[in-house]
Amino acid sequence: MTARSLRIALTVLTVAGLGIAGYLTYVHYAEVQPVCTAGDSCIKVQSSVYSELAGVPVALIGLLGYVSILGLLLARESENTRFAMMALTLVGFAFSGYLTYRELCSIHAICEWCATSAAILTVMAPLSVWRYLRDAPTLPTPGASHSLERPPAGRSRLYST
Amino acid sequence: MSRVKVQLEPENLTRKQRRDHARARRKALEEAEAAATVRQARLRLLGIVVAVVVVGIVVVFLAAGGGAKHGIPASKAEQSSVVHEVSDLVGGIPQRANVLGVPTAPVTLQYFGDLECPVCRAFTLSALPSIIGRWVRGGELKIEYRSLETATREPEVFKAQQLAALAAGRQDRMWNFIETFYHEQGEEDSGYATESYIQGIASQVPGLDLMRWTSDRGDATLSNQLVSDGQAASAANLNGTPAFLIGRSGGTTSKLEPSSFTEPGSFNEAIAKLAKS
Repeated sequence: MTARSLRIALTVLTVAGLGIAGYLTYVHYAEVQPVCTAGDSCIKVQSSVYSELAGVPVALIGLLGYVSILGLLLARESENTRFAMMALTLVGFAFSGYLTYRELCSIHAICEWCATSAAILTVMAPLSVWRYLRDAPTLPTPGASHSLERPPAGRSRLYST
Repeated sequence: MSRVKVQLEPENLTRKQRRDHARARRKALEEAEAAATVRQARLRLLGIVVAVVVVGIVVVFLAAGGGAKHGIPASKAEQSSVVHEVSDLVGGIPQRANVLGVPTAPVTLQYFGDLECPVCRAFTLSALPSIIGRWVRGGELKIEYRSLETATREPEVFKAQQLAALAAGRQDRMWNFIETFYHEQGEEDSGYATESYIQGIASQVPGLDLMRWTSDRGDATLSNQLVSDGQAASAANLNGTPAFLIGRSGGTTSKLEPSSFTEPGSFNEAIAKLAKS
């Protein structure tokens, strides 16, 4: 998978997650019933004490997370953006894992929107870790002793993996 | 692991060419070392991120934990605070068996719950007080509490706790018992609903004759009521708690599916509509 196709895949996943988190945030503030094929499971999850963290709706936290990730994907790619992206997706993955545990073991109801978002982050987390680790760093050049940027296109690579 | 590609040196190279080759090889090795260093730095950062994330989740798990205090408070002052809160909510409202509200109220809401269900707790502590204050106190609604086993793992535990509530209803104090139970609900799956816990809840219900309550808990009529509640839930296709049936008192009921269990909006709309009809 090329760096470009990986970035596109991550962007598509992020946009999907953004849509879900945006919808759940709307549902929370508009106090409307979420579309749910599994009866009132989504309402139970949305109404549970676990739907907020320190008074902030977890849907809003997710929305902000996805917006940040999308911003990083659309920004000029660098070592820092790849690192931040990896860190954010790992945080998102762990948090959605915690929420899924609460759904299964505390609320006894699964919100399909939340489950889909968790699945998206489960795919994104390893992809962003792989993206961060796999890209070859730029070799040190005079005047830029710790540059980790990718080599310019066309530059020969002296090593392979 | 990086591998350096090095061309073999022909033996007939000039001194300058050998020097160039040596320089290129040295440069390649330096670059490979630099790349390995960067990768190690990345792996180290990844390890730090993973550690921070794990610590963060543990903190959320322990601190958030639903954001609720669990179980019967240890101090008498805290217990007294719960008793006052419950008395303020249901005090002065007629109770009879499992019903809260005046018998002539035009609208009846059946609330199917499991005393160990955390979502029922959220509903009882968030949306229900507003519904009671506005509609039950106003004489337009009565609420019937009915039992449906969902969150409680052990059928025997479910039976014991729900029968304890129904037995309090024999003294028209079921709603005090229910409210106190939900206020002091323990951590799910912790096995907190022991006999001692149930008696602790009962002891916080003002005016409850504990001797009589203990005796009533073994009444077969109450056990039959539990069975009847379960059958009513099945007939209405209710498979989770909290669940609600609503209708004109004495008439047919229909399932109420609120948009939220913590906001009273959907309940207010349904009750207002039925009260006018």
